[in-house]
Amino acid sequence: MMDAVLRRVRPDQVRELTLVVVLVAMIAFFAIQIPNYLSPRTFTNITTGSAIIATVAVGQVLVLLTRNVDLSVGSIVGLVAYTVGNSLAGMGDVNPVIVILLCMAMGAALGAINGAIVAYGRVPAIITTLGTLALFRTGLVVISGSKTVTTDKLPDWLVSIPSTSVITIAGVDIRVLFGIALVATIVGQVVLRYLPYGRRLFAIGSNPDAARVAGLPIRRDVFFAFVGSGMMAGIGGFMWLGKFGNITVVSGSGLELQVVAAAVVGGVNIFGGAGSMFGALLGALLIQTLQTSLLRWLGISQFALDAVLGALILFAVAADAIILRRMQEAWVRVRRQDDARARASRDGEAARGT
Amino acid sequence: MARSLRGRMRGWDVMLFGILAVVVTWNAIDTPGYASMQNQVNLLQLGIERSIVVLAMAFVIISGEIDLSVASVMALSGAVAAAMFERGMPIELGILVALLVGLACGAFNGFWIAVVGLPSLAVTLATLIGFRGLATMLIEDRSIGDFPQWFDTMGQSSIVGPFTFSILLYGVLVIAAAVLLHLTGFGRITYVIGNSKDVARFSGVRVAWARIRIFMMSGTIAALAGVLYTARLGSARASTAEGFELDIITVVLLGGVSIFGGSGSMLGVVLSTFLVLNLRNGLSLAGIEGNTQTGIVGALLILSVLLPNIAASVQDRRRRRTAARDGPGGTPPAPGEIPEGAPAS
Amino acid sequence: MTIQAAPVGEPGRSGLPGNDAPGAALAPVLEMRGVSRAFGSTQALADVSIALHGGEIHALLGENGAGKSTLIKIMTGVQQQDTGDILVDGRPVRVTSSQDAQRLGVAAIYQEPMIFPDLSVAENIFIGHQDRGHIVDRRRMRREAQEVMARLDVSLNVSDPARGLTLAQQQTVEIAKAISLNVRVLIMDEPTASLSAHEVNQLFRIIAALRRQGVAILFISHRMEEVFEIADRVTVLRDGRWISTRPAADVTPATAIRDMVGRDVQELFQRPESHPGEVVLSVQGLGRAGAFQDVTFDLRAGEVLGFAGLVGARRTDVGLALFGISPSDSGTILLDGEPITVRGPQDAVRLRIAYTTEDRRQMGLVFPLSIAANISLPSLPRFLTGAGLMRRKMEHQVADSYRARLRIRAPSVDTIASALSGGNQQKVVLSKWLETRPRVLILDEPTRGIDVGAKVEVHQLVDELVREGMAIILISSDLPEVMTMSDRILVMREGRQVTIVPRAEATQELLLAAAMGQEAVSFSTTVDASLDDATFAEPPA
Repeated sequence: MMDAVLRRVRPDQVRELTLVVVLVAMIAFFAIQIPNYLSPRTFTNITTGSAIIATVAVGQVLVLLTRNVDLSVGSIVGLVAYTVGNSLAGMGDVNPVIVILLCMAMGAALGAINGAIVAYGRVPAIITTLGTLALFRTGLVVISGSKTVTTDKLPDWLVSIPSTSVITIAGVDIRVLFGIALVATIVGQVVLRYLPYGRRLFAIGSNPDAARVAGLPIRRDVFFAFVGSGMMAGIGGFMWLGKFGNITVVSGSGLELQVVAAAVVGGVNIFGGAGSMFGALLGALLIQTLQTSLLRWLGISQFALDAVLGALILFAVAADAIILRRMQEAWVRVRRQDDARARASRDGEAARGT
Repeated sequence: MARSLRGRMRGWDVMLFGILAVVVTWNAIDTPGYASMQNQVNLLQLGIERSIVVLAMAFVIISGEIDLSVASVMALSGAVAAAMFERGMPIELGILVALLVGLACGAFNGFWIAVVGLPSLAVTLATLIGFRGLATMLIEDRSIGDFPQWFDTMGQSSIVGPFTFSILLYGVLVIAAAVLLHLTGFGRITYVIGNSKDVARFSGVRVAWARIRIFMMSGTIAALAGVLYTARLGSARASTAEGFELDIITVVLLGGVSIFGGSGSMLGVVLSTFLVLNLRNGLSLAGIEGNTQTGIVGALLILSVLLPNIAASVQDRRRRRTAARDGPGGTPPAPGEIPEGAPAS
Repeated sequence: MTIQAAPVGEPGRSGLPGNDAPGAALAPVLEMRGVSRAFGSTQALADVSIALHGGEIHALLGENGAGKSTLIKIMTGVQQQDTGDILVDGRPVRVTSSQDAQRLGVAAIYQEPMIFPDLSVAENIFIGHQDRGHIVDRRRMRREAQEVMARLDVSLNVSDPARGLTLAQQQTVEIAKAISLNVRVLIMDEPTASLSAHEVNQLFRIIAALRRQGVAILFISHRMEEVFEIADRVTVLRDGRWISTRPAADVTPATAIRDMVGRDVQELFQRPESHPGEVVLSVQGLGRAGAFQDVTFDLRAGEVLGFAGLVGARRTDVGLALFGISPSDSGTILLDGEPITVRGPQDAVRLRIAYTTEDRRQMGLVFPLSIAANISLPSLPRFLTGAGLMRRKMEHQVADSYRARLRIRAPSVDTIASALSGGNQQKVVLSKWLETRPRVLILDEPTRGIDVGAKVEVHQLVDELVREGMAIILISSDLPEVMTMSDRILVMREGRQVTIVPRAEATQELLLAAAMGQEAVSFSTTVDASLDDATFAEPPA
């Protein structure tokens, strides 16, 4: 019976389900421990707090699937946030859509630099994005002259983004920031599941040699994965600008590690070939839930936050690997049994004198 | 012609040396006394802790792994020593315990990576957060200082001429690391594991144990560097050394160690250490600030891999064009020999 | 397309295809003219020409290093030639990428199947197809994949992930992919190397069907019997040069080998009788859950115990259990009468049990390291001083002595392993294990994929070792090899031991029957894979 289930279910579906269960369990736990936990405000805190990471993670998943990594996203976020924010200051009324598109374009351009070096220059992704992490940050320093963008120079609609809601269901606000993250995740998921491009990304990460032999346009696909990652980081920059308003030289610093952590917790395989956007979103939510809730929980001092977070990530990676291994062994076992059964029946037919 | 592994490394080292010479010469033009021993010692002093960790990180990357947690171990070790000191224990004991904590951190990493089999990027990402979190638990958001005089000046006090304790320690560690990597069985195994864990295992090598030892070494050295850094700063904070891991990894990669594992040399790593120090200093003297310096180092890192790639593909295209013009030449492969880069059979 | 047996003329050796193959008189589907390619200073191919006709099976023979794989890479667009032309249907074309090759209908299947474990079977078939629309239609993909599978007469659940497929199944998926791309030229590089006899039959049936459809097939194999069973024409390459192209009817294994090697070579080494001594290894009821069970045998000093069986018999697992990579969980192992447990390769080396893996690339050698470094690896402690430093000079001397003894062809022992040919690499693997001074040596497919000359040398070496008193287990899927080299032959089938046969009583029929688990049936001396023989009764697997 278990075999029948295993036959129908994909590993990343199992992962996503597990994450939902863990998330629900975690919320239930905190609900017991913390008075007034289950409130709309908690929901807003968690969703808004994880929105930027979840959005940038959508792009990171594209890159991770191909067995690469993009460590420059934090710098892209900062650079885009500053540049766009600085341009807005002094301009009159600009259509928000234009602003977002601008951020996307700038992020995509920066991502294209990464993509060109990795895909066409054949420089390993870690090296490239370590380098551009520094280079883009330098760009930010140079452009800003080490000055900051402050909220008073920004248009009102931008500054009030964190408190703007897209929709309110039963008293629970879904804020714009989380709305963006949701849309990004859904679009990303569609790309992965329904576009040939998405399937090719899995293939490239699953077996790069086979991908080459099969004639997949690896370089082009990887290039666009980095463009996508940069673009999502660009949107992240927009969100950062709206959320924080004050952009300094170090804005976005360290974001890349949080994004990779969210993806990893969300079941995206560091070695490529497996993972989903929903998983990354759940990973981001999980981490954010832990971070905000632990703070409110009197059982643990606020200073233990990072230690617990580190343990969570480690646990998630370990559980993922063990579950995956079990599933793979089960697959192989099921298949061998099927083969043996098929052969036995063929033997039987032969014995009966066919 | 197929040369041995070490033979092939020399090209990179030569390039590094060349760039280093150019940088030092350039800097020396504007600044009198730049190329003096004293100046180089001063430079090294400024980045000594990172340079020490670079030596251990080289082993980690050659073995095919990565350790993102080194900076967090630096912070944790400083925090441990400081916390013990704060509670009235002698700082010497604190240092010893700090080193043991580093060893334990390395063993912890090594366990999950080598025994459970998790990817090192993911594990050390988690411990990067976790170890620093432990430091936070220990000393919260305070800054602990007021160490005994000898501790604060430990790193900087001259022992022999211009050479401070830290410098001498670094010198000893460089020699030890070079011997360990190039002349011992441990080093040989490191290369083998970096090339193929499976082959190593099938050849009777105790792979898991070797990998754990490499991480334990990384953790201990990081703890040592953390203690030295805390001493130099004169105080311990949980946020010490934030972001150092990326600098350290950059220097190792720039030193010719392949990110894929299996190749690299200690000479290259030491050369790139000095290269980055001098480069940054030169830029600093020219008025370029820290983040921009990092950007230039980042660009150098990318170019160090990108340019040879471009050169190789240009060469390939040119050869094919001449072959098309002149017809096939060269000798056929000797029986049993296949040229480098050619597919088998 | 159904696979039928059609009454045509002589199978195999009829030269150009029979009258029912379309396009026989037209221009060759794919032709290479005067193709050359160099890598660095070495010429991998020099002025090679070959023509592939539709509906014809063209065998390509050559030792390792002859240039076969370079030729394939140029045909499939992975590499480009330096000089020379490629013509499709008589028109010159440029094949500069895999996509070009795909568009021209050229597909290649390699010994190591190239599939994507994380994708489903159906996706594996259709990934990379150029014009399947902008949206992935899973239902349509599944349906079409099932159709292709049905045409190949293979039952596979196309929605399953490709992970866990057997090698033969993976190969089928690759062929399915080629069919779905309307392949016109199918290149098969050592496709039967890891297949059981039944799977080889199945593969040959598929090839026959493709041939009937007018597909041009380029078939590369080291197994002479197969080549001469199915080939219509045979081309031989040597050292990057074209040597000959002849109808299969005009070639014999001996002439083919002479072309390949450039000299007359005795085809198979005949091992004289040996006189085994004491029992060294005694295995009783050995088993590992899910792999094999109840293996019982004695192994004496100075004898070769051959392990015969089809792929899937799990002989390698027995080797891995004795060597400690995948330890057994039942039964006992006695070494010199004392029970031992082997929990890892370190134990095995200490007990002086050695094992050469069948997969050189993955598990046998460290390719960027020198010959000397590879040889010293399993015995590393012996090459260290007390302080742990390497004894380089000693390592060099030891490696040199093996280079001489095994006739490893390399400029020096500092040459890196990847620069050697397959045969020489295998000799390095043997050297490294011989250096551990084993008393029990388990050889797993020691001559797979290496050329004839080196094969003979390996056999001679085994004979010497046995004469010196080593106890050897020889796992091999090459029945002639097993039969001529072993003193006794243990036959396994699907993880169980079937029988142990002394050499004098062993015939190919007997061994094959035992390996397939049935009474001996009268087969010819080679696996009968007559493609168009309507009366051929397929043995159940």
